[in-house]
Amino acid sequence: MDEYIAAAPQPQRSGMYAVLALARRPRGAALLSRVRPLAQVGRTLLAMERYEEPVVARSLGWDAEAVIARGRALRRAEGRP
Amino acid sequence: MSEHEADVCVIGAGAGGAVLAAELAEGGASVVLLEQGPWHDPDSFDASPPRMLAKLYRDAGQTLTLGTPPIVLPLGSGLGGTTLVNSGTCFRTPEHVLERWRAEFGLELDSETLDRCFQRVEEALSVSEVTPELAGGNAAVARRGAERLGWSHGYLRRNARGCVGSGVCAFGCPTSAKQHTGITYVPRAEAAGARIVTGATVREIEVRAGRVLGARARTHGGEVEVRAPRVVVAAGTIHTPLLLEANGIGRESGQLGGNLSMHPATAAFALMDEVVDMAKGVPQSFYVDEWAGEGIMFEGIAGPPSYAAMSLPLEGERHAEAMRSYRHLAQLGLMVSDSSRGRVRRIGGLSRPLITYDLDERDLGRFRTGLRRIRELFESAGAHEVYLPLPPGTEPEQARAKDLGLMAFHPLGTARADADPSRGVVDSNLQVHGIEGLHVADGSVVPSSLGVNPQITIMALATRLAYHLLERPCPS
Repeated sequence: MDEYIAAAPQPQRSGMYAVLALARRPRGAALLSRVRPLAQVGRTLLAMERYEEPVVARSLGWDAEAVIARGRALRRAEGRP
Repeated sequence: MSEHEADVCVIGAGAGGAVLAAELAEGGASVVLLEQGPWHDPDSFDASPPRMLAKLYRDAGQTLTLGTPPIVLPLGSGLGGTTLVNSGTCFRTPEHVLERWRAEFGLELDSETLDRCFQRVEEALSVSEVTPELAGGNAAVARRGAERLGWSHGYLRRNARGCVGSGVCAFGCPTSAKQHTGITYVPRAEAAGARIVTGATVREIEVRAGRVLGARARTHGGEVEVRAPRVVVAAGTIHTPLLLEANGIGRESGQLGGNLSMHPATAAFALMDEVVDMAKGVPQSFYVDEWAGEGIMFEGIAGPPSYAAMSLPLEGERHAEAMRSYRHLAQLGLMVSDSSRGRVRRIGGLSRPLITYDLDERDLGRFRTGLRRIRELFESAGAHEVYLPLPPGTEPEQARAKDLGLMAFHPLGTARADADPSRGVVDSNLQVHGIEGLHVADGSVVPSSLGVNPQITIMALATRLAYHLLERPCPS
């Protein structure tokens, strides 16, 4: 998440850091819920963070490591760039 | 400062610039290709949406338009440009669009030449139709719905070779199956002797007495100067007008930066009985074009759980519950051929665009109709529930522009081609009106919305320009 937010342009970057910090705390989330667009940003960031967890993703049938390993093996085997 | 002499200096290595550099170099011209982004090693791709957004996209994919509603406009960054991160969908320019360009913009586009250019591009990129097996479960749901309703549909043609359906086209293809220009045309250009400079931000295009003389760029190692009697700007629809404007070029018509058309888009989810596993297979493999004449196109879209969780239009426990059923979720995208028009302006130096774009009433109507029809399609396919990207309790017919959570793709038109110098920035041969030797070859010259994904239109126009500059016909 840090890489993602750090690569964002200003003012989104500062906004996302602030929204994420609020969204992680119950009182902060309650505060955010008063402003729908900000609450949406907070939910989106938290959702991305949660479902990026390999354990969570694997439980939903998605194994990024396996996808990447297969891709790299194929690329090497066939001499692709 | 490093100095180079070349026949042609090409600025940008995306859909337009990479094609042009390869065709010119193979045709015997000396070429310097300046690209602002880096070369991305496919070994660094890890199928993680947030990390890959940060790495492969300009501004982490968070380029925003200002207006109602604000729209996210993702743009690729690096050798290959947006072809590095797009879904690989290939449509030729629809014939009715070409006819409009001839009639409305006075463009002399010979069908036979264009046909040869398209063939050449399609062969270079191994364009072929996705098979049902590779399309996966997500496409099967959309296909079933379209068939039951009798709506026109099909599998998409894509620039891929040896694809195994990794499901992460937009986050860096781990098998290098997607034939983006960074692994096709750029290596061809290099093999033919073109000099490729990455990390080069072009600041200056030198023009004297109505003739272009070259370009100057800043790199990590200092300055690069290219002296060339031909310069082709292919920095993309958003950044080409900024570069031209900063150099006082192309402003006479008043059209530079204007006429911005895009394909604003959104997507709906459906909960199915069957296991869909949306990320297994080609994410964009299927289309429904029954309503293309109204400017409404449905195309497949899908991704890993973190991607789906970001875009699933639910909150709280409903979101968590739907995500627990991720394997049963299907998704379909709605893309609108817009009548709205925006503008790109330069703020704070070259690299920061201010993009303004308001969705007009006609496009809002297209979204209302499109969302209603997506729901109809999913219900016909047997969906238990359909999740539309609207606030809770809002029906499509009631949706306001600000209710729509939109992304947009395929920006076009900000340095549009028009035979009349008072109405366009470049002429039929994509030369900037009034400046000998300066051309533009990216989406910015495309004068109107296509209604379909534009990458091979841009590539075919670049091929046509290459052979025009080489003063020989495009080979069949």
